[in-house]
Amino acid sequence: MKRIAALVAKELNELRRSPSIFLPAVLTGAAAILYPFVIAIIVPYFAGERLADSSDFQLATEVFRSQPEARGLTPEGAIQAFVFEYALVLMVGLTTVTGSMAVAAHSVVGEKQARTLEPLLATPVTTFELLAAKIIGAALPGIALMLGCFAIYVGAVAVFAERGVWTMMLTTRSLALVFVMGPLAALLGLQLAVCASSRVNDARTAQQLGALIIVLPIAALQIGQFLGGIVLTTGMIAAIAVLLCASNAVLMSIAIRLFDRESILTRWK
Amino acid sequence: MSFELVPGEILALLGPNGAGKTTTLRMLAALIAPTSGSVLLDGNTVTRANAARLRASIGFLTEMPGLWERLTVRQNLAVYARLQGLPSAAQAVDRMLDLFAISDRAGDYAGELSKGLKQRVALARTLLHDPPIVLLDEPTAGLDPHSAHDLRDLVQRLRDDRRAVLLSTHNLDEVNRVADRVAVLRARLVALDTPEALRTRLFGRRVRVELSRDAASYASMLRATGIDDVIVEGDILSMSLNGQVTVPDLVRRLVENGAAINAVTPEERSLEDVYLRLLEDPQ
Repeated sequence: MKRIAALVAKELNELRRSPSIFLPAVLTGAAAILYPFVIAIIVPYFAGERLADSSDFQLATEVFRSQPEARGLTPEGAIQAFVFEYALVLMVGLTTVTGSMAVAAHSVVGEKQARTLEPLLATPVTTFELLAAKIIGAALPGIALMLGCFAIYVGAVAVFAERGVWTMMLTTRSLALVFVMGPLAALLGLQLAVCASSRVNDARTAQQLGALIIVLPIAALQIGQFLGGIVLTTGMIAAIAVLLCASNAVLMSIAIRLFDRESILTRWK
Repeated sequence: MSFELVPGEILALLGPNGAGKTTTLRMLAALIAPTSGSVLLDGNTVTRANAARLRASIGFLTEMPGLWERLTVRQNLAVYARLQGLPSAAQAVDRMLDLFAISDRAGDYAGELSKGLKQRVALARTLLHDPPIVLLDEPTAGLDPHSAHDLRDLVQRLRDDRRAVLLSTHNLDEVNRVADRVAVLRARLVALDTPEALRTRLFGRRVRVELSRDAASYASMLRATGIDDVIVEGDILSMSLNGQVTVPDLVRRLVENGAAINAVTPEERSLEDVYLRLLEDPQ
């Protein structure tokens, strides 16, 4: 654990000196926060129409109003809560995954390119310790970014949405999404990125491979929610969390096998 | 190849690019496994299972300094001190900063250092955990003469500390100055001995005799008495002595024939000559 802690501290120290690699993730977070406000607050305000007057949200509203916590909301508040709560999936997923992977993709490939990997591998550090440190060191900034975005999101909903809507952001389901599914999805994306970065020589390729595999399902989930085809219940979140945990365990063992010290040392130039 | 490295010895690995010097060092550092044969560290055969543990007894200075450039010198060393599991990491770092006279640069980012200083920090990192075995891959490559001189002094201090040092280099002058033994590689081990023994083996024992005059006439006399390979350069005779003719024999023959000798000195062939001869004719 001491070696993992030492390497995590080193990763965070390095990140402090190059915050620019984090900028795309911050912009993604800003966009993910903004877009539900465009749908639920800004467009109705400028159009002079209430969402409750539109038939587009009827099905979604009915699904959402079936939840006991939402029964005290006005029809307009229920639709806003529907939009804001479902948009959380994308915000949590995108900010955590893009934030973490911006750091992770530079980890193994970055060490290769800077020629810092060989002295590191010459220490008693094991492959598990090295990869665990890389993944944790990348996950922490991504999770911190996601929590920051979540705090801003809830604050903005409290200020701009109908009364009581913000409490829907703090239901068990929403909190499980933020504190369980987000970090687990980030870990999955990170392991994919680290696996990729063990095999490629270009940080961008590693980042794209990892992001593609994890962001596509998140986007599909988001679209499914809005179309009413998927209702993300607490039970479903728990099932996905278990699946993510199992996938993470399998991926870690694959990552350790893929991280072939000898070929990394002898083939990269 | 087969060789042994003992405490208090500096063994230099020589060979052209691609001869296998870095691969040999990596095998000895338990970073890569040999395709056949084995590496023993302090009597223990290196395996995948024990490699991580055995690496703790090795200090490996890689060809590139490999410092994290966005961290300070102190931070670089502190990470390695913790990775090596040192009980008092901060003290070990301070000790190395003092030993390598880089305390005043401890707060500088590694990316801001000169190549010589980076190499010095990398060597400090290599010795942080006080390893009994030190592997150095071209430690003075690209350094200015002053930095290279300082680094050679440090390497010699390692021998004084009874560490076993394996040094890979292309710098023959450096080998001459610091190495106790030389291993010449060319995909296999071509030669392994002290520089002096290699010289004698390849070129025999040569002497230079400086005469007052007429060296050429004495050259024919010496050839007539069985000393071949006599070279005349003005008033100087240079020749190879076989086991049957000693320096006193040679002096006596010259004096008996009327030569006035000013000086007799051993003639050393350069290590470059030895190296080139070995690569030309590995047998």
